[in-house]
Amino acid sequence: MSTQSRRDFLTKSAAAIALSNLPFVGHSQPSSQPPAPWNLGEEVKKYRKIDSHAHVYFTKGNFEQVIDIADRLHIEKLVISRPMVPGGKGEPSEFIECNNLVLAAMKQYPNRFFGQLTLNPQYPKESMEEINRCIGEGMIGVKLYNHVKINDPLFYPIIEKFIDLKMMILMHMGIGIARIEYNPREPKGVSIPEDMVEAALRYPEAKFQLAHIGGGIDWEAACKAVRGVPNIFVDVSGSNNFAHMIDFAVKCVGVDRLFFGCDNSFYQGVGHVLAADLSEADRRKIYFENYNNYLKSIGRNVN
Amino acid sequence: MLIDVNSYIGHWPFRRLKGNTCKEQLARMDAAGIEQAVLFNLNGVFYKNVQSANDELYEAIQEDPAYRRRFIPFATINPIYSGWKHDFEESVKRQGAKGIRLHPLYHGYELTNPAVVELAQMAKEHNLPIAMSLRIVDNRPSSWLDIMKEWALKDVLPLIKAVPDAKYLILNLANNSNFTAFNREELSLVRQTNMLMDTSGRMVLELADMMKNYGSNKFAFGSHYPILDPVTGLLRIETLRSGEITDQERKMLYSENAKKFLSL
Repeated sequence: MSTQSRRDFLTKSAAAIALSNLPFVGHSQPSSQPPAPWNLGEEVKKYRKIDSHAHVYFTKGNFEQVIDIADRLHIEKLVISRPMVPGGKGEPSEFIECNNLVLAAMKQYPNRFFGQLTLNPQYPKESMEEINRCIGEGMIGVKLYNHVKINDPLFYPIIEKFIDLKMMILMHMGIGIARIEYNPREPKGVSIPEDMVEAALRYPEAKFQLAHIGGGIDWEAACKAVRGVPNIFVDVSGSNNFAHMIDFAVKCVGVDRLFFGCDNSFYQGVGHVLAADLSEADRRKIYFENYNNYLKSIGRNVN
Repeated sequence: MLIDVNSYIGHWPFRRLKGNTCKEQLARMDAAGIEQAVLFNLNGVFYKNVQSANDELYEAIQEDPAYRRRFIPFATINPIYSGWKHDFEESVKRQGAKGIRLHPLYHGYELTNPAVVELAQMAKEHNLPIAMSLRIVDNRPSSWLDIMKEWALKDVLPLIKAVPDAKYLILNLANNSNFTAFNREELSLVRQTNMLMDTSGRMVLELADMMKNYGSNKFAFGSHYPILDPVTGLLRIETLRSGEITDQERKMLYSENAKKFLSL
């Protein structure tokens, strides 16, 4: 069967499949009849998507590559940042260079990329200047890395600044204590969910985004840690598309605090949300509406 | 038509799984349009006597005629454990296993072990594929009781070199599985080997490019469900554009490569 005729067939069979909220989970009784294929391409297209955790790189042609894969998966907008090199000192010249890359990407694809700046609170003056510069250039939040823990007092003025701006603070989560001991690759300054909880309780008016529960962190521990903390949002990005991760996250933190994201693992990011045991309305919330609500709160929502 | 070359029943001791029974797997397959699936028993990773896992798989599949028609069972063999030749005979000849599954990292042996080579020879003589996964789970968030080591694609080469004319099913491509990891001789060996790789793994990034370099007859849809979500492995195929894959190649990835490889 040709691809086209296969797709025609898929389209014809889509109505029956669409009766279920759970197209891939398969809670129905098994049939003895040959199965009717599911229209995966149409299902992907059906949902508008804002990728709340994406990156651009310094490699030539990278912006185009990111847009290309976003187009394949019908990801409308991507919130991009360029974190500093792992294990580096995170000096101002480096975070300024990273932010300049993001600004260049925003300029090249103004209708696709939202930018987030990065900084290092060990350089408070330069970090504050960079916030003013980048937000002034249209960025919509900050993406922090592993130089200093999010609950360290060095971060207090940064958090307070983002409370004033009403903007999101996205913090990288390290592999950290996934196996009780810290992963050897992680520096001392890497944040774990409990650090974010402490910061979020100290600053209940701040908005925090816990990064990539699929990014190699202990996602069950992370979801449990932030269960009762309403100002922590959780992004589901990362390369680890362990089955039913989203279902677990919904159970722990609720559907309204989950953001779709890929962290550039685009297939996994889209795939595991599509596979999750969700109603269409809830899937729309995770793929698009929850982050768009945040964008609306700062006057930058997508129509 | 779709064939999933990588799915499981059984338990994972460090995290609760859902969808890990024949009934749930078949319902998932019906919903997704999957006609048949290669089925492994995860308990074979953990039982010292893996034949118990093969018995479980056999018994589970006997429960319903649809299971017998739709599932393609593979038996786990541990070639460094007592009685493995008997396990091979029992699972293949009496229980009808259509392939052999190895767990070298969990069972603690090297692929150069003479017993492994002997098993591969036996599998070849019976025209049975030998399945290996580069990892079962992402080691980073796994349990402190789980193993830390994962493989890259290159790590399967010792067995392929020892028994190059056997059939190999390589699952969940992780770590460096890019063709650039191989030298010319190794790449040539991979291309010449009757080997099928599934699309479930995180390193299947640019499938069209991988098909060009390894060969389009080397890939097949696989989900690794219910360890990984059941959609992503198919999404990697579905999102290839018409300029990147021919209609025929798409059919090969959906089912034709699997049919040929598994002698269905």
